[in-house]
Amino acid sequence: MKGSDQYLHDLTRPPSATKYLAEAWRRREFAVLVPAQDLRAQNMGTVLGQLWHLVNPILLVGVYFLIFGVVLDTSRGVENFLGFLIIGVVLFHLTQRAVQDAAVCISRNLGLIRSVQFPRILLPVAAVNGQTAAFMPALLLALISVLVTGERPTLRWLALPAVLVAQFVFNLGAALIVARIGALIADLQQLLPHFFRLVFYASGVIFSVEAFISSPGWRRAFAVNPIYDILSCARWCLLGEPVDVWAVVGLMVWAIVLPVVGFWFFLRSEQRLGA
Amino acid sequence: MDEATGGSVTVQVRDAHVYYRVYEDPVPGLKQIFAEGQMRRRYRTIRAVRGISLDLHESETLGLIGANGAGKTTLLSAMTGLLPLESGSILGRSRPSLLGVSSALRPALSGRRNILIGGLALGLSRAEIESRVDEIIDFSGLREAIDRPMRTYSSGMRARLHFSIATARIPEILLIDEALAVGDEEFRHRSAQRIAEITSAAGSVVLGTHVMPEIEKHCDRVAWMDNGVLKALGDPSEVIAAYLSTVSRTGAS
Repeated sequence: MKGSDQYLHDLTRPPSATKYLAEAWRRREFAVLVPAQDLRAQNMGTVLGQLWHLVNPILLVGVYFLIFGVVLDTSRGVENFLGFLIIGVVLFHLTQRAVQDAAVCISRNLGLIRSVQFPRILLPVAAVNGQTAAFMPALLLALISVLVTGERPTLRWLALPAVLVAQFVFNLGAALIVARIGALIADLQQLLPHFFRLVFYASGVIFSVEAFISSPGWRRAFAVNPIYDILSCARWCLLGEPVDVWAVVGLMVWAIVLPVVGFWFFLRSEQRLGA
Repeated sequence: MDEATGGSVTVQVRDAHVYYRVYEDPVPGLKQIFAEGQMRRRYRTIRAVRGISLDLHESETLGLIGANGAGKTTLLSAMTGLLPLESGSILGRSRPSLLGVSSALRPALSGRRNILIGGLALGLSRAEIESRVDEIIDFSGLREAIDRPMRTYSSGMRARLHFSIATARIPEILLIDEALAVGDEEFRHRSAQRIAEITSAAGSVVLGTHVMPEIEKHCDRVAWMDNGVLKALGDPSEVIAAYLSTVSRTGAS
């Protein structure tokens, strides 16, 4: 028999973490193009079609402004409340939707998982990519509203991309963790909306934590909340709202630690997901 | 057991065991947890593949036959790396492509967009898919339906599209699980040609099916699986005759 077995490799053993990442990177187009297809499919058959990606955030912010800006007036201590609210609502929803989408990304793609061997990490990554792409019109809307409400671009604006990148990698880490738990415990999908409602009020999306909580110690405790960190930093960039140094440190720590923990956590049961 | 067919080995399965858990009831509900102290899910371990060894050679088409539940699909999934082994090993020259019972990848999207998604999952680049998309559509024979949502396809049309996607880049090792029985006469002829292309390029094909004439026509050797073990492996007509004799015997008794 010619040829030896030396170029046969093991088809069943999971690859090392670096090989796995390399393979996922080689197929990165999947994580960009597939969510793009799904986004397009989302609003098929509606009258407004793809315009919904812009109309949706407008309505979202409109409702919050009506309730918290006009009816309840939580604008205490904030100069530009509309800008403040828009940044909060838009960035908060980006993380919420990315994480909630990641919770169902395995179960929604069982057909694909059971017929093609590919790095499953691409699915939560695709979920985050898709929501990030869907968020772009909302980001544009936020920037326009901030300008319309009287802010002028300053050097601080240049720091915004760094904040958004930090939020993106934070979302990735959270998505990886939630994807694994959601694949094994379907109840998570029901729990997440309530969890995010709680986080919503604990992150100062609609009110200024600084204005409502006077104790500096308690205020500092908010820095452990990553969403609060993201919002504080983004508002500092665009509105010049004061930002606690602990919020900046908190965001940096979350953005470095969570993706690493998430990758490790996801990889540990990668082979069992959806099998 | 393996008479050498001349070519060198493309996939080597050694004493492979694949077990999986079948959960009796989905997840313990609150009632079970509190009333019965039942925290863990109750499951049975199904030993679907119990010690299979076989070699797949260059330029070979291997038939895989056996009753429903014999473990054919499990073995093919394990060979693709979709299921972990309990013990044993499966080595291969490259990762086999598996063509299984077809579900629509994205039912709401058109066949054309599903070609893109399926191709990307298989590891093709967008440019590769775009340069081949016409060829894929022509091969599937679905030119008229290709821009319709995939949920409007019949199961035969789905299977044709899947086969066309999976073989768009001729794989070195192709495992086909019950996928060829569907499709009309003309498509079956075309897919047979594609299988011949793979084997003539020193690749290997495994054909898992119930349709015996197909097996006898295409295969160089036939493996007969029964209850997770290999009952016979060898000359197609002999193995098929042996298999059919047990089928008719149990049918008569």
